[in-house]
Amino acid sequence: MSILPASTVDFFLAGLEAFMRRSGQGTHWGVTVLRLGGRPDARALAQAWEEIHARHPMLGARLKRQWRGWRWVWETPGPIAAPPICWHPAQPLPPDEAVIHERLQGRSSAGELTTPLWMEVFPWGGEGAHVILLTWRHALLDGTGVNLLLEKLAAGTCGEGPPAQPLPRRESMAQVYKRAKPLTDRLHAMTSAGCLSAWVKGMPIGGRPEHRLIELSAEESGRAVSRLRKLCGDFMQMPFYAAIAARALRLLHEQRGWKSPEIHLHLPIQIRGRSRELIFGNHMGAMPLFLEAESLGSLEQAVEHVLEKYREAMKEGMPKASDALTTLASHLPLGAFIPVVRWTNMGQICSLFHSHTGSFLPGCTAFAGAKIHNIFTIPSVCTPPGLGIFISDYAGRITVTLAWRGEGVSPAEVAAMERRILTDLTGDAEGRAE
Amino acid sequence: MPEAPITPAAVIELLTAEHILEPQEALTPDTDLFSMGLDSMAMMQLLLLIEERFHLSINPAEMTRERFATAAALAGFLGEKRRLAA
Repeated sequence: MSILPASTVDFFLAGLEAFMRRSGQGTHWGVTVLRLGGRPDARALAQAWEEIHARHPMLGARLKRQWRGWRWVWETPGPIAAPPICWHPAQPLPPDEAVIHERLQGRSSAGELTTPLWMEVFPWGGEGAHVILLTWRHALLDGTGVNLLLEKLAAGTCGEGPPAQPLPRRESMAQVYKRAKPLTDRLHAMTSAGCLSAWVKGMPIGGRPEHRLIELSAEESGRAVSRLRKLCGDFMQMPFYAAIAARALRLLHEQRGWKSPEIHLHLPIQIRGRSRELIFGNHMGAMPLFLEAESLGSLEQAVEHVLEKYREAMKEGMPKASDALTTLASHLPLGAFIPVVRWTNMGQICSLFHSHTGSFLPGCTAFAGAKIHNIFTIPSVCTPPGLGIFISDYAGRITVTLAWRGEGVSPAEVAAMERRILTDLTGDAEGRAE
Repeated sequence: MPEAPITPAAVIELLTAEHILEPQEALTPDTDLFSMGLDSMAMMQLLLLIEERFHLSINPAEMTRERFATAAALAGFLGEKRRLAA
């Protein structure tokens, strides 16, 4: 049994999962889909899969409070056995939405998932096409971690395994409170002003995880990338996608007749200085932005507004404040963690994920020897906030996932958001021809 | 107050001192910055730091791969912007 340090985001996600379980929303699962143009090398894949399980004891880790110092840590029992990679018989079609739904609820065709990683290979069609579904538990893995994991699996080897990590430095509560204050003040002001996400009190919590996948064609993706470059240069995907997500949420508010003066958008920020060998545990911090609904009228205006608010937030020390707020909350019991976070903003955030390198597997064209056509992620979301907007990118091919729970968002609202997102991405005012 | 000089060394100092990049080996003016981990979020932070340190405003659309490929290329781009702004 060994002890590994846990980050504040690890506490947050563990708290979120505890809340999800208590409110009947299950475990926080995500599914990454790899569309391949050939048969992956089963031996190479199995070897990398087994090495990863053997060298990363985090896969069996449990978040635990240490009595000494009242600190959260990962308690690891030692290497765990890799679950077998499940190869399905060939089918005429790729796995459908029902299969994804089942995985997002932590179930496979063999029953409940009992390990944090589960891999399946689905051969389909007559020309050797394959789909790989990688189901992962969000408390142990995030978007960056998924990309690092795919790198190892694609290479067919896991490398040396994770380096030893020092336990984080302790600060006095007074210092942490001082760092958190700009954000707590901002969140209280936002809550008082009546800012909303996709959920308000009285709406149902829970229901099964639902999603809508919007896979842009190569031609549509090309148009989106040139639009992105025109507005944001070659690299600044985040403000572009953040503006699109915020505008979709604003449209939802308009359709429901809700007045929300601001939209609270959480941008994921990669924690710097973390070894690329540390696949498991979370790599992200959060950068809270408070976007004025009136400044999201056009995409151009929204992008400019996101950048302006980003500058403002950096100057106010929001990334550090966000980390400090989560640190403060981590002193509470796990069950009390999310209620306190919710008390500060009533769960009113707009959740956005983007694969932070700008792309999955940058520069990599094959996965275990099979040509990659596309990679994207379908995460489950919690209610509140009730809606997640996720953007995946592989080699310039863009895929958008809208995720919600149960009846939280209606089919008409999903269709309207899809049209708005496609128009914003591609510049095509007519949307996509059915 | 004199303006901070824009040289490849000044750009390297900015990138490392502000933890935009955390390379294992020392950066040279011709090191490929993208292979060192310069990504979308790092670029957003770099944009702000360039504004603060060199008092230059950069439109995101000007942030092309060629201009940010190396410290030497970035220093050249920023130097040219300062010259045009003078």
